[in-house]
Amino acid sequence: MIFDWVAFFEYFPRLIRAAGVTLQVSLLSLGLACLLAPLLALARLLGPKPLRSMAQGMIEVVRGLPPLVIIAFAYFALPKVGVVLSGFWCGVLALGLVGAVYAAEIIRSAIESLGCGQLEAALALGFARWRAVLEILLPQALRRILPPLTNEFANLIKASSLLSVISVHEISQVGQSLIFETFVVIEILVQMAILYLIIIGSVTILSRRLERGLGA
Amino acid sequence: MVQVLVRLLPPLGLTMVLSITALAIATPLGLALGALRAELSDRHPAARAIDAWVFFVRGTPILIQIFAIYFLLPKLGLQPPLFVMGVGALVLNSAGYQIEIGRAAVKSVPKGQWEAALALGFDRQATLRQFILPQAARRMVGPMMNELSQLIKASSVLSVITLFELHKAAEAISSANLRFSEVIVVEGFLYFVFIFGISLIASALERRLSASGALAGAGSFAR
Repeated sequence: MIFDWVAFFEYFPRLIRAAGVTLQVSLLSLGLACLLAPLLALARLLGPKPLRSMAQGMIEVVRGLPPLVIIAFAYFALPKVGVVLSGFWCGVLALGLVGAVYAAEIIRSAIESLGCGQLEAALALGFARWRAVLEILLPQALRRILPPLTNEFANLIKASSLLSVISVHEISQVGQSLIFETFVVIEILVQMAILYLIIIGSVTILSRRLERGLGA
Repeated sequence: MVQVLVRLLPPLGLTMVLSITALAIATPLGLALGALRAELSDRHPAARAIDAWVFFVRGTPILIQIFAIYFLLPKLGLQPPLFVMGVGALVLNSAGYQIEIGRAAVKSVPKGQWEAALALGFDRQATLRQFILPQAARRMVGPMMNELSQLIKASSVLSVITLFELHKAAEAISSANLRFSEVIVVEGFLYFVFIFGISLIASALERRLSASGALAGAGSFAR
């Protein structure tokens, strides 16, 4: 077992391009998650009863399913109801949904962890309920939300590897097909690991900075 | 629908066996290493090895870890059955996360507990076993149960190495009968029932432990 540096550098450019796809998918699904998560969290906290139980049901179901099943659902079941998306956008949709659900739970628990005193004080001062949540509770909760949210982002990047099963050309898919094409195993596995470690490592460092910066 | 459900039950059994076997190996391993890691200084070689493991596991997707086992073991001349490889990959992954759980739980026990026990004449090992670990154990229950449902969900990724667990079986059935949405709904239902059941047990367990303090009695857990 010798490490073949020639093979290492021969295949590296293709994997770097794949890393670009991994980044794109992760960032887009992060964006989708960031849009959906506050809505879900607010629906769970403030919504009228039916809306609240719908949001809760959705959160429970998505958290109770492996991301792989949700990805397969987006790819195989959506076309049956007439929604045909490319693998890439199916991936963004599925990962965005998974990320949103976990982020919604983070937001909810952060708001609830503030204690009811804050809400009571705001209500006593004459704020409407939704204004109290948006203007008093949410800004305070933000400090507690950001660190776990960056963690969730790292999970999202890791989950993007699952998109290889619906032939999105991200790191895992490209790496896997390179291994089967060339039988160069170790060098390619090491490259895949390095690329993921760099991407996720920088997110982790960012998360630590944020934590320190916010003094949480 | 019912037919699909019946055909998916044996693979669900395999998913259960896979994740429970992996948990049974990974939990003692991870928690012991985690407690050890909390005791060691950062410079100790064993601490470095444990840190490297945790870094690799937390920094790469489980898919890469599964590939690593699936492709590298044969290169080393080992050809274990698929089931063993699958359990191995899950253990590699889960133990990495559980090391962190164990370490955090041991570290979260207030320092005063250490000082009190040492002042009473217990040595470090006895203190750890009889005072610190029982208290840490209670704090671990929540994150551990979380880890179990993560593990079950991660087992679906083993489908890529053609291990016929629930997801692989559903994939095979749906590509044979082309009724994708139906099969996925049944598959999702089975996963959901399993994982939701686990999380119900988890919260009941957590409530009982925090209410009665069953594990808090010093020594009752360690021996």
